Amino acid sequence: MNMNVQKLFRRPLFGIFLLFGIIAVSTSWVCIATVDSQLSEEYESNSRGIAQTIADASVDIILNRDLSALQSLIDQFLEIQGISYIYIVNEEGEFLAHTFVPGIPEVILASDPANTESVERQLSGADSYVEVGSPILAGVAGTVHIGMDKSVITLKIQQAVGRQMYLISSIFLVGIIAAILLMNLAAKPVENLLAYAVELARAEQEGESVKSALLERDDEAGQLARLFLYFSRVADPEKTGTGAYPKPS
Amino acid sequence: MKAFTRRKFLYSTLLGGLASPWLGRGPAIAQEAAAGIYEGVSGDEIVLGTSAAFSGPSRGLGIELYRGAQAWFAQVNEQGGIRGRRITLKLYDDGYQPVPSVQNTMELLLRDQVFALFGYVGTPTVTRVLPILKKFQEENVYMFFPFTGAQPQREPPYGEFAFNLRASYREETAGLVENFLGIGRRRIAVFYQADAYGRSGWAGVREALGAHGEQIVGEATYSRGAQFSGAMREQVEILGRANPDAVICIGAYGACAAFLRDAIDLGLEVPIANLSFVGSENLLQLITDSVGNSERYSRYLVNSQVVPSYEDESIPVVREYGELMQRYNPKVPEPLFQPDYVPFEKSFVSLEGFVNARIMAEILDRLGDSPTRSRLEEAVFSVSDFDLGIGEPVSFSEQRRQGMQGLYYTVVDQGRFVPLDDWQSRFG
Repeated sequence: MNMNVQKLFRRPLFGIFLLFGIIAVSTSWVCIATVDSQLSEEYESNSRGIAQTIADASVDIILNRDLSALQSLIDQFLEIQGISYIYIVNEEGEFLAHTFVPGIPEVILASDPANTESVERQLSGADSYVEVGSPILAGVAGTVHIGMDKSVITLKIQQAVGRQMYLISSIFLVGIIAAILLMNLAAKPVENLLAYAVELARAEQEGESVKSALLERDDEAGQLARLFLYFSRVADPEKTGTGAYPKPS
Repeated sequence: MKAFTRRKFLYSTLLGGLASPWLGRGPAIAQEAAAGIYEGVSGDEIVLGTSAAFSGPSRGLGIELYRGAQAWFAQVNEQGGIRGRRITLKLYDDGYQPVPSVQNTMELLLRDQVFALFGYVGTPTVTRVLPILKKFQEENVYMFFPFTGAQPQREPPYGEFAFNLRASYREETAGLVENFLGIGRRRIAVFYQADAYGRSGWAGVREALGAHGEQIVGEATYSRGAQFSGAMREQVEILGRANPDAVICIGAYGACAAFLRDAIDLGLEVPIANLSFVGSENLLQLITDSVGNSERYSRYLVNSQVVPSYEDESIPVVREYGELMQRYNPKVPEPLFQPDYVPFEKSFVSLEGFVNARIMAEILDRLGDSPTRSRLEEAVFSVSDFDLGIGEPVSFSEQRRQGMQGLYYTVVDQGRFVPLDDWQSRFG
């Protein structure tokens, strides 16, 4: 299989590359934006739901029971994928239960314990978290905070984009191979025509005649071949008027 | 043996279905239950069920507790059992992890149909099992003498399904705090396991300090399952920044030994206290085996205990314990046997297991010739001012579901734990 690209088609092929590149980048961008937005919303929504559940379940424990029961409760929720930490503060901001090891991060100690708005946090090293909160007993008994690891969302985005890129790359590769083959197919008559023209010029100089299947074709290549032959005869007065070949239409 | 009624069959079937998410074979269990095994009692046997740590970083606790209990049960069985019935312990390993402990409990109740749960180990495990007891309340399933001083099995809504013998963590931490404050060590920090056990102890310290207008000055945590080989330097640095006068640890021996090692290495040379759950001998052994001069580390140790020193043979129950441990030297049966674990001849944990078994046997005896679960509570409440030979009468009642309150403090002297009589001279 000849995979050399004719000079004539190099620019169109570059255009195809460019087009595919634009498609890949734009669809990936749309994909990242969509997955990021939807997953973030979903995670935040789920976390708010969990925070609300813990807040509801905490009321009785905080008011009537030992804090080990509260710790046992939040430890169970920590097993849910994506939830990285949970802490519960009372109405005075005192930490009643938490899941931090080896200690409560400074950034959380310094934050507003009653805040229930979604906030982004940078805790250990480069790890990034989204934290949501839910008030316990309308906030008079404290607040539950849940931190979600953003790397889980990032990983899911990477997986989604990776799958899409894999598909686009496969289509791109097949498309390029097909484009080269089709271009070579289209270039074949031009190659033959060029060879015929060269052979015709040589034959004219040596006074020989040239026969080619191209002259029998009824497409543009056949017409051009006949035109070349006509011009060679026009250029040779001895052959004009023989009527061997019709004038080009 | 009690007849297996239609209601019982339906209930067993329902419970089998409930268990299926864990076990995946609920109906089969219900069928086995229907086959007639009932309440863990037969003509010649009473079966008690245990889920404890027989493997993993805290295996020493489960193994030693079992050995102590088995020393007494072995003698009871050798002498003909309880009114002709020998006592058998059905054992499962949970590795000190909550999910396996729940699975094991379902297995014990549904498949093994044990008479009662006995000798569980750990707060995170027991707190997860307690709701199962409530679920089985019509079956009169009770948990006896878990190796934890946490509050959930001592208060509503689950307190009525468990009986405790040992003092609580609240009492242990309060005792430690009182003694530290008494010698002028007011800045107390807490190093604790990041779970229900750690939180229970943390809450006890907080409450005890709060009663004196003080607060915890610093806190650091570790993950359950941490081993001695792991580093606790971060935790030491966190607590070091709080400049404490003393540290109270609420953890298991591996992590607490690692903390002690790193604390002394990093210059945090203050008294480091542990609760009874720590497994004192296991902790000391880790330190002794790993450092050249163990005295440099162990002199900062002070451990609270819920049983007296096993070295004090003036105490009748201690003398009896020593004799029976030597005579029977119980081993954990296959397949839970850990060949690489070398048990202690004597330990606080096995002494606690021994004491637990003595009271359990007494309760079983008080059930009479036809023991049933429905009369268990009544039998327990009949134990009043019972002389166990430990220097403290044991009593239970509707309002008192913890048999003893005794606390003992120990320090290391010449490589052994000895009673601490004078806090001032040791740590003042």
